[in-house]
Amino acid sequence: MLSRLVLVSGHTLKNSGSFGACMVQASRTFHQSSQSLAPVPPLPEKGGKVRHGIFPEELFTLLYPKTGVTGPYMLGTGLLLYMLSKEIYVINHETFAAASIGAVVIYGIKKFGPSVAAFADKINEDKVAKAQEVKDQAMASLAQGIEDEKKEQWRVEGRHMLFDAKRNNVAMLLETNYRERLHMVTNEVKKRLDYQVELQNLHRRMEQEHMVNWVEQSVVKSITPQQEKESIAKCIADLKVLAKNTQARATLNLRIFSKVLKITVKNVWGKPGFPVKRLLA
Amino acid sequence: MMTSFFDQFASPSYLGIPLIAVAIALPWVLYPTPSSRWINNRLITLQGWFINRFTNQLMLPLNVGGHKWALLLASLMIFLITINMLGLLPYTFTPTTQLSLNMGFAVPLWLATVIIGMRNQPTVALGHLLPEGTPIPLIPVLIIIETISLFIRPLALGVRLTANLTAGHLLIQLIATAVFVLLPMMPTVAILTATVLFLLTLLEVAVAMIQAYVFVLLLSLYLQENV
Repeated sequence: MLSRLVLVSGHTLKNSGSFGACMVQASRTFHQSSQSLAPVPPLPEKGGKVRHGIFPEELFTLLYPKTGVTGPYMLGTGLLLYMLSKEIYVINHETFAAASIGAVVIYGIKKFGPSVAAFADKINEDKVAKAQEVKDQAMASLAQGIEDEKKEQWRVEGRHMLFDAKRNNVAMLLETNYRERLHMVTNEVKKRLDYQVELQNLHRRMEQEHMVNWVEQSVVKSITPQQEKESIAKCIADLKVLAKNTQARATLNLRIFSKVLKITVKNVWGKPGFPVKRLLA
Repeated sequence: MMTSFFDQFASPSYLGIPLIAVAIALPWVLYPTPSSRWINNRLITLQGWFINRFTNQLMLPLNVGGHKWALLLASLMIFLITINMLGLLPYTFTPTTQLSLNMGFAVPLWLATVIIGMRNQPTVALGHLLPEGTPIPLIPVLIIIETISLFIRPLALGVRLTANLTAGHLLIQLIATAVFVLLPMMPTVAILTATVLFLLTLLEVAVAMIQAYVFVLLLSLYLQENV
């Protein structure tokens, strides 16, 4: 953190005049990344690796070639013992206060560290997820738009079938209408022709009746009284002859009928199969 | 010269160079500047989340006029809480144990709220001196009492913070000394005392955070009355 102060103050010094110019050159060895600002270099995802919470891993890798794995630990122990033995660091009440606050800090970090880190990660992830959701929604809506467009194009292809059906429908309606009107016209014409026919029949009948009447009247007129008397006398003579014939025939018929009846009754009455019941019922 | 327990509260200096400015400015370097990146590292994310959340909560009861104080109150809170927490580390100097610093914060800010109230809405500001529903015979007495309580506010703010932190630090030093002295003589008692020290440290952590919060909260309350 103090190095940040140094860097910031170095930056401000760098910008001041001639002194600044040589500062830039001198501090160029300290920079690790390239000097250009664009594109913005990506930040490392995780912080620097540390061992035991405070000692950066670079110290261990630095010392490893010369002193192996235990090198940094020996260095630490040696430093501590040196400072204690030379009384550069004196153990006093503050040591125990330091131990106490150190215990609190370590306990706090061990207990709440992972959850706090997860919380911070969650905040960032939620941000990314929101943006991703916007992007996904936009993509989904666009894909849906493509689907709908394709469907509409397919529908357009099938449109001619719809038009054909409609055309047929309309043609049928027209045809029906035309036939109805034709029927109506036929009926009307037939009615008029029937009227004319009836009229002619009436004419003929009336002429016929008139002619018959006229013939009768002329015949009746032409009958003289003499002819009338003669015809009446002849009719009476004819009738008398007819009456005689009829009477004779009638008595003969009566005798035949009674004989037949007697024979029938003798033969049929009481024989098996005689429908008595039917007759009586 | 005899060292006393109050030496920890002396203004720090090294070889005659006063270090009080360093002590006050130190918390600033612990908070990285929020970058212009969209996704930041954990520290900046948490810092941003905390400041946003805190300012949101603090500004809830205030009206729009009070929102002008958001930056001031939020930065005051961060400052106080960092200084208090850093003061719990060993061999550190806590600037907020100095009455001068705390009064330097309390009096101007309290006075600002009072002047704002008197300028913009004098009737309402003076009306706060008489609570609602007081019986009529009590009115004169109550106005005097309320005025006294009004003028005691900056004193209370400053002294509260100073006293809490000073007392806490002193206690830690005392009990740590007790542990240090008892350790060669009566180790079991020393261990018990060390447990007490541990619990006290926990309490001091809580007090450090709470006192900073209370300071800022009370200021926001005084602002709410007057703005």
